[in-house]
Amino acid sequence: MADEARKKEIFEKLRNGVIQYDEDACREGAQEAMAEGLDANEAIFDGLVSGMEEVGRLFEAQEYFVPEILMCADALYAGLDILKPHCKQMDLGVKGSVVIGTVEGDVHDIGKNLVKMMFDVAGFTVYDLGRDVPLDKFVDEQLKTDSELVCLSAMMTTSMVGMPKVIEKIKAKNPDCMIMIGGAPTSKELADRWGADGYAEDASNALKEAIKMVAFLKKLRDEKIQKK
Amino acid sequence: MNSRERVLKLFKKEAIDRVPCFSGMGNITETGINKLGYRFAGIHLDAKQMAETAATTYKLFGYECGVVPVDLCVEAEAMGCVINVYPQADGILYPTIKEKLIHSEDEMNIALPPDLATRGRIPLLKEAIRLLKADIGNNVAVGSYVLGPFTLAGQIMELNDLLKLSFKKADKVAQLLDVMADALVIVAKEYEKAGVDYITVREMGATSDVLSPRVFRNLILPPLQKVIRAISGFSVLHICGKTNDIVTAMMDAGPTAISVEQKNDVAESRKKLGSDALIFGNFDPYNVLVSGSEELVRSTMRKCIDDGVSAVWPGCDIWPTVPPQNMTAMMDEVKIYGGKK
Repeated sequence: MADEARKKEIFEKLRNGVIQYDEDACREGAQEAMAEGLDANEAIFDGLVSGMEEVGRLFEAQEYFVPEILMCADALYAGLDILKPHCKQMDLGVKGSVVIGTVEGDVHDIGKNLVKMMFDVAGFTVYDLGRDVPLDKFVDEQLKTDSELVCLSAMMTTSMVGMPKVIEKIKAKNPDCMIMIGGAPTSKELADRWGADGYAEDASNALKEAIKMVAFLKKLRDEKIQKK
Repeated sequence: MNSRERVLKLFKKEAIDRVPCFSGMGNITETGINKLGYRFAGIHLDAKQMAETAATTYKLFGYECGVVPVDLCVEAEAMGCVINVYPQADGILYPTIKEKLIHSEDEMNIALPPDLATRGRIPLLKEAIRLLKADIGNNVAVGSYVLGPFTLAGQIMELNDLLKLSFKKADKVAQLLDVMADALVIVAKEYEKAGVDYITVREMGATSDVLSPRVFRNLILPPLQKVIRAISGFSVLHICGKTNDIVTAMMDAGPTAISVEQKNDVAESRKKLGSDALIFGNFDPYNVLVSGSEELVRSTMRKCIDDGVSAVWPGCDIWPTVPPQNMTAMMDEVKIYGGKK
């Protein structure tokens, strides 16, 4: 087992690899982590995700823009692909599955893919429907997979307006399912008005919201079971 | 002074009685479509339906322009992309690109089809412009729009790849954008031949929410200049999202006016660009005009005017389900308040 200093060095390599969009460094760091017998979950969260958090900060500070974030995401996946098979069980206190896609009429999927990445990292089972997804497909897929969470994304105002229809249909069939909307034109006000449970205008917000929502859902279910 | 005179005088920077209320982007309404008995999916493919629908916003609400097309896929389609107009959709779905032209970095070296000016729906658009002009052209200015080179490139290849390459291989992207600019010049010239009074260049993809101001100057600006310089009539450069850090660069592209949306602090832009610059904007066409109350519509119009817009103009396409009373409130408020300034 590696000592603390070596562990720190490897996690730092993963973190910096993401920040500096260096896919090779992330790959190397991940291989070193495995060779040293480090915990894969820890390497993901204290290395890769920690790097992504800094990327989020750089984006907010307008030092990084979307091209940089996309390259950072590639670097993160380069490390994640190696580490993921070694993960025993993600210990976030929650475990969930999610249906995700960009709504019909919208072919933009960059935001959706970033959110998906965060779910991948967190160990969610992700059912990615892609982009320009007919509204009913979200409803069908949720029923089929019994996912706790559905994420709807839209980049254009002109496609966002399909969202309330999906929310209404899913809630009618499965009131316990949590729905999160996201994308540039969405807002907290719209989420509230349309009956969505969460709202995220960017990827890092979406993950936080998603974990909160799933944890809340588990709590509700646990309470129901206790009452029985 | 009728709406046409008012808008044209504004473009020429001559004295006008009040701030005009118009747009260079899509502004058809469901009220207009329903009145004619048309379906949204059908109007993109029929010059007569397109022109008639475009005229209804003026006829019903006194909106001070007529604009075609309605969708954003005309150029990409003429270049060879396959589009989807969602013919079966009940509600309103805007056409999207189904099949891209460039699938990998190796395919970026493309040439324009020699007959671009007569491909896809460009002849249909020219016909729609002529019909629209014949119908309401004496009363309002008739406009059309083309995309910006970067936004068009993002339609004909994966936007994901385009964005990364604009960082990793800027030269290659610059070359592609130059070809896109040539295509857009051809299209804009066809629209001018058909008689449009002004052309809006919509470079939505190059917002500061996505690209840094530095990349905007180095990569986006040169091909934009090429397109705008080729437009012999009035031109408007529109970019949505954050634009405060690039308004000067937008002006450097050489348009008659710039158009910004609600994320732009117009008072700030006005300070930067001076009292003479034409700045159009900048209300939220969905959260204000569609889902806002009449009072919110009115107060937002007043705020736009107080902040110093040269014309009250939406931040994007007007979403067709706009309630008619909000359209009326918008026009009424600009007429009352726009003359006081």
